[in-house]
Amino acid sequence: MKRLIALLMAAVLALGLTACGEKKEPTAEQITGRYGLSNAWDSLMPYNSPSGSNYTRIICDKIYDRLAYVHADGTLDPRGATSWESADDGMAVIFHLDEKAAFHDGTPVTAQHWADTITLMTDPNCPALGRSVFSVLAGTDENGVALEGEQLGAEAVDDHTLKLTFKRPTTPEDFLLDKNREFYVLPTHLMEGVDPAQIMELDLWDAPVGSGPCKFVEEIPGSQLVLEINKDYQLGCPDFDQLVITVMDKSNLLPSLISGDLDYYAFGGNVSVEDAETARASGLEVVEGEVPNTFYELMLNCETIPSAEVRRAIDLALDKEALCLQSTQGLGEPTATDVTPGTEYTCSLTWERDVDQARTLLEQGGYDGRTYTLACTSNRSGLASLMQQELAEVGMNVTIETVDSAALFSGMADGKYDMAIASHTPGALPLWFTESRLSEGNNIFHIADLEPYTYYIEQISAASGWETRQVLLDKLQELLADQRPFIPLWFGRTLHVQSPTVDNIDYPSSSFSNENIWAWKMKEA
Amino acid sequence: MGETRLDRSPWARFRVDRRAMACLIVLCLEVLAVLLLPLVLDLEPNVSDLEAGFWAPPSAEHLLGTDDVGRDLLARLFSGGRVSLFIGLTSAAISAAVGVPLGLLAGYRRGAWEFWIMRLADIFQTFPSIVLVLCLVTVVGPSASNIVLVLGLLGWTGIARLVYGNTLAVREREYVLAAKALGARTGTILRRNVLPNVVSPVWCSIPLRAGRAILSESSLSFLGFGIRTPQASWGNMIQYASNLTVLTTRPWVWVPPGLCIILTVLCLAGIGDGLRDALDPRFDSRRSRP
Amino acid sequence: MGRYLRRRLLTAIPVFFGITILVFCMLNLAQGSILDLMGEGSGATDADRAALAASLGLDLPLPQRYLMWLGDLLRGDLGVSYANGKPVAGLIAQRVGPSLLLTGTGVVLAVAIALPLGVLAAWKPRSGWDKAASALSLISFGVPGFFLCLAGIFLFSVTLGWLPANGMYAAGRFSGVADLIRHLILPAGVVCLSSVGELVKQTRAACLEALGEDYIRTARAKGLTDGAVMVRHAFRGALIPVLTTILSHIPHILGGSVVVEQIFGWPGMGSLLFSGISGRDYTVVMGVTVVIALTVLLTNLLLDLVYGLADPRVRYGKE
Repeated sequence: MKRLIALLMAAVLALGLTACGEKKEPTAEQITGRYGLSNAWDSLMPYNSPSGSNYTRIICDKIYDRLAYVHADGTLDPRGATSWESADDGMAVIFHLDEKAAFHDGTPVTAQHWADTITLMTDPNCPALGRSVFSVLAGTDENGVALEGEQLGAEAVDDHTLKLTFKRPTTPEDFLLDKNREFYVLPTHLMEGVDPAQIMELDLWDAPVGSGPCKFVEEIPGSQLVLEINKDYQLGCPDFDQLVITVMDKSNLLPSLISGDLDYYAFGGNVSVEDAETARASGLEVVEGEVPNTFYELMLNCETIPSAEVRRAIDLALDKEALCLQSTQGLGEPTATDVTPGTEYTCSLTWERDVDQARTLLEQGGYDGRTYTLACTSNRSGLASLMQQELAEVGMNVTIETVDSAALFSGMADGKYDMAIASHTPGALPLWFTESRLSEGNNIFHIADLEPYTYYIEQISAASGWETRQVLLDKLQELLADQRPFIPLWFGRTLHVQSPTVDNIDYPSSSFSNENIWAWKMKEA
Repeated sequence: MGETRLDRSPWARFRVDRRAMACLIVLCLEVLAVLLLPLVLDLEPNVSDLEAGFWAPPSAEHLLGTDDVGRDLLARLFSGGRVSLFIGLTSAAISAAVGVPLGLLAGYRRGAWEFWIMRLADIFQTFPSIVLVLCLVTVVGPSASNIVLVLGLLGWTGIARLVYGNTLAVREREYVLAAKALGARTGTILRRNVLPNVVSPVWCSIPLRAGRAILSESSLSFLGFGIRTPQASWGNMIQYASNLTVLTTRPWVWVPPGLCIILTVLCLAGIGDGLRDALDPRFDSRRSRP
Repeated sequence: MGRYLRRRLLTAIPVFFGITILVFCMLNLAQGSILDLMGEGSGATDADRAALAASLGLDLPLPQRYLMWLGDLLRGDLGVSYANGKPVAGLIAQRVGPSLLLTGTGVVLAVAIALPLGVLAAWKPRSGWDKAASALSLISFGVPGFFLCLAGIFLFSVTLGWLPANGMYAAGRFSGVADLIRHLILPAGVVCLSSVGELVKQTRAACLEALGEDYIRTARAKGLTDGAVMVRHAFRGALIPVLTTILSHIPHILGGSVVVEQIFGWPGMGSLLFSGISGRDYTVVMGVTVVIALTVLLTNLLLDLVYGLADPRVRYGKE
């Protein structure tokens, strides 16, 4: 009997060991950069990612090349393109591509690759996901699908000149700030003759070939990705040979960095104020980001909270200062608007807490004492319970549901929840937040009549010149303040723990889903 | 000594077991404390004291300091204890209430009873419990009573299997065969001859199950599927320790709930041992070998 | 024996299908689907979602989806992941090895500690061994797994710097057994600690139980030494309940290591399962479930056979 147990155990152990040990041979002495991530990417094909999350983007950023590199403050650096200029009275942008750029199989990247990528992904038969990003281009419908018989707004002028034509006048800067992280160049020379409907089935995506700073080596989807540094990348390469990306619980990221088992973790080695103290005490340097990179909002369901007075009352009842302090520990600014501070657009609205006024508004709005449901993810439950108390103070009853983000967004979309706490990476454009959310296709706030909003949004998009836009933006913000379909809470900044082992990391820019990995340098031991 | 011990009732035997009694008393005190003290001391577990601030260290006003939202940790320790003890005790009781009779029936009756009960147990046991718990909690929603039901109803298989395995061995025993031959009814045989002889491992597993349920709730909290905020539980309070800073610099936040969990598990285990000794007079694990 | 075996195999089949139906229904009742996660990063439109739904077949009615999945399963095809389009069988194959290594090591360690300790504790109640057994099971039952993980990381990685805090290999791939073992110690230690308690308890209780039996008295009366009685008779009598516990641990641990794998970034089944559940990647969860279900059915079969081997009365009892 004992022998039986022993045999069983030995078999289990042996099976485990062989399954792990097979096929892998020790490689020559290589320097490895170790990169931590708290959530997994899904697809390594950028236009086949169901989540479209920043985790997928930051991984695709390594394997594929983009047109430009976007800094946290909104400035741009060359990447796939060395320079760009406006053309056709602002209706188009011409990109001069870097002639040194090449795919990992050695094929040079040409403007044709870019044009073909866009043509293929907008093909009605191609099952591309998240392609509404292409809807800014001429010749596409509002979902980014190419319209038959119309000229698609992406063409190769010559081998290294790409011309993108838009539906509305767009400056190169506006386009890149908004869309750069979604425009990749794919190795279309490896897809020749493939039916667009079959593109996603290609074996190519199991071992993708891109033209980015890292080459794919192997992957355990959802857990680990091994990349080799592309030594021929046009912007240079870091002084290590491979990058190993490991997914682990967020509670282990900082401990791993301190213990020296990670060189860096995404995004930008961000830590809370509290943990920054621990990091400092452990000898790590912590730097404060200068640009706001999170925007918190309280989403409201305008169908179940139909009265604008009640929605304004919620706004007045919340002590944004305390909420912001709880969440950011002093690294945030409460706000009355979604317009990002520090950009060229401003908003003069201010926030205040007024409990009495809130009570009056509740009464005017006909609040009947019903209990609303507030949804949040579990890491924001403290924030939610603070809100619950503040709303109780003006006489509004709220229960909290802690759910995962899938249930949160589906619950908001189905109208199951009345409020939800969400956060976003703010953009520098005036409509970064409103344009996609106040639209028929994605009416997450359940606004009965979108017309007044879309009117201004159309106008602002079509307007040229800062001044006209600012005037229109003020009007839109006034409308939002009056109707309050969502409640802007605060803009927060981030603390970045500096890697103890790697120099030259541009930490803040990772909030735009790009990292300057080509410039990373190992510190002298 | 055997003679006198066997003469006494189980409760009498339990009463003289000093360790078991101590455990029982401590547990009762714990239950009383979490039920009554908050009323007596007028503690508010769900109200933030913004003047004290977030993560305030222990002070006269807040004996255990405040949490990330400025709520009094002592008050939360009591109200969390209520939830945790409820989850632990109730779910273990549900598991046993379902598992013991089913295991007995399956092991003693065999045939169709055995087939259907054990196949049902197979279906439940095939899943790693955490998968079922996670799935079910996403379906029914994370509230304390739902978690109790899910943990309790999913826990019956282990107990049933334990009882079933023992019953299989016991049913062929001479005393059972003798009772059967004397024409005793099945219910009587099960109750008087089989149950006392198969139930002792259950007694030591129930308290451990209660402890495990308390910890399961804590794991669920860690994975984001725990009970609903702002409700506290020891499980979600010890969770604060998943942050390196809290773990290293604010022991007063996570040590009390941690100690409470350990103390509870310790008491439950002691009671379990005491019960087993009291109910099964053939041996006495503590004083001497039989 | 052959008939017994055949009967057990046949009974396993309805169980298997019961399981698949149960999980399929449960997952599809859960709130939110992978479609809802689209809105998170970018402003995905309804058209984007419809495209995804169509490409995944999510627009079909539930029974039809189940039958399609089952049909594929019977052909040995577990389908492709909703999230990354890769075959589920391949995803699982990558994860089985690391999982078995981690939980296998953990359980073997736990058994190796629990059996002798449990026997010693039963042999000499109130001795140091008994106290050690109590203390060990207290830690095992009283301390949550994530706390053990983080405390371990803090102590052995951050403070002492002896052991790596994450991953399976230092350089992303196998580079020697020593490296693997260094990475294995912490997570396997946690797995071991969290399962050792119940094993010790059960071994001790079962041995005590066995010591009360008549045959032990007989053995003693024959003049055997305490040690011989303990090892040759009591321990053997205690084996059935102990084996029950050991084998019933296997599925539990396979799924129970979710937290450990999640924290250490260990590429096992647990973290695959968790990302499947939270990402609403149903095909992956179903696939993992099928694999675990099969494993557990097999172990249960084994358990029943072992009962049969250990106790002929069971085998021939009521066939």
